[in-house]
Amino acid sequence: MKIKVDYDLCEANAICMRESPKVFEVDDDDNLQVLVEEPGEELHASVREAVRLCPRQALKLED
Amino acid sequence: MLPGDINLNDLFVFDDGIPHDWFRWMRANDPLRWQSETEGAGYWCVSRYDDAVAVSRDNVLFSSSAGGTNIFEVGEEQLVVLRALMLNMDPPDHSKYRRLVNKGFTPARVANLRSGIVDMSREIVDRIAERGECEFVDDVASQLPMMSICDMLGVPVEDRRHVYDLSNTLIGFDDPEFQVSDEDRMNASVGMFEYAQKLGDARRANPVDDLVSVLVNGEVDGEKLNDLEFNSFFLLIALAGNETTRTVTSQAMRLLIEHPDQRALLVDDPSLLTGAVEEILRYNPAVIYFRRTATADTQLGGQAIKKGEKVVIWYPSINRDESMFDDPDTFDIRRSPNEHLAFGVGEHFCLGANLARVQLNAILGELVSRLPDMEFAGPVRRLHSNFIDGIKEMRLSFTPQGKAT
Repeated sequence: MKIKVDYDLCEANAICMRESPKVFEVDDDDNLQVLVEEPGEELHASVREAVRLCPRQALKLED
Repeated sequence: MLPGDINLNDLFVFDDGIPHDWFRWMRANDPLRWQSETEGAGYWCVSRYDDAVAVSRDNVLFSSSAGGTNIFEVGEEQLVVLRALMLNMDPPDHSKYRRLVNKGFTPARVANLRSGIVDMSREIVDRIAERGECEFVDDVASQLPMMSICDMLGVPVEDRRHVYDLSNTLIGFDDPEFQVSDEDRMNASVGMFEYAQKLGDARRANPVDDLVSVLVNGEVDGEKLNDLEFNSFFLLIALAGNETTRTVTSQAMRLLIEHPDQRALLVDDPSLLTGAVEEILRYNPAVIYFRRTATADTQLGGQAIKKGEKVVIWYPSINRDESMFDDPDTFDIRRSPNEHLAFGVGEHFCLGANLARVQLNAILGELVSRLPDMEFAGPVRRLHSNFIDGIKEMRLSFTPQGKAT
């Protein structure tokens, strides 16, 4: 699993950080940082939730 | 109820609240029901959650710009004007403008406004606390959105009432009580544009730390916004920022009064407030519908839809879809998860969602903790509209309290 962020869409709503804080972090300047680009198996469920819930659909998954 | 009774064009039905029995029937029996119109071609009604998400996500097939986002059909000349509003744009134009304006609405930016919004909320409640009664919509619900959005835009205190009055004239299009002539409305548009122009010119000459400065000095594709673009932005933000949050604040207080058990929970445990705000948004979303127009023949939830047909998403129905929400008609401030679509989803996801959440938490926090026994002192009068789930008058009484400051 590989995470792609479309930074043209991302508005730092930080829903992803709520769902999967080990993988996503929105810093104080409102920039989304992906902490783990290829998260391990144990994080997949929370990352999928983050992708699904992003209100701007700025997150995509690649195999 | 017979399905033949359903007529979502009948604004008188909405005077008594959202026709949930109709939507429940549609979700179960005809989730993409065709609604005919006497003045118009008719439209498909999206009543289920998954279909609403599919339509919202596909901006190519379901366009906001082709025919605008209101049900009524407008001529090409008027469409040109409407398309200057971001609400009625599609990507890539929409994405371009959104990148410019979203800088003002990010969570960090809104967090900076929080303490000011909390102070304003305290002041608003102070003004009514000793009186023991109020007309909630005018005295409370309309105050914070106007103050916050003007604060954010950079409208000076002495001009706020003017901007607020103009925005009210522009939005009250369906209710006879607010009925304004076409001439009044035109004058209000012109008034708003003139005001925007004046403030924009001032900020072009001397930029300060406000949204108007960002808008007039920012660039889209290396070009600054022209006057029409900037003025349209200003108008949209002033309208959208006033009407919607006022509506949810009024609905919130109505819901808490009508559900005393839920209000008691909140009074006992203020940490439930954040969840309560989400449940209020789910239960009574401010915006009742938005429309898209199909740009090609397609299928949606098994229904064939033809190019050019109108597709209308009904948010009160989406937010009570049984497949997403257990006991959807139960108002439960502890509901979790609560993935309502009061703010929409996708490209047009509400720009002001973060700001609205901060405002709702601030004002409801003040009200629930300081005036916990608010009661109805007259009938709740609703807006005559199938577009905004507004309340136009709600007289309340309560035990007088001292001021906080």
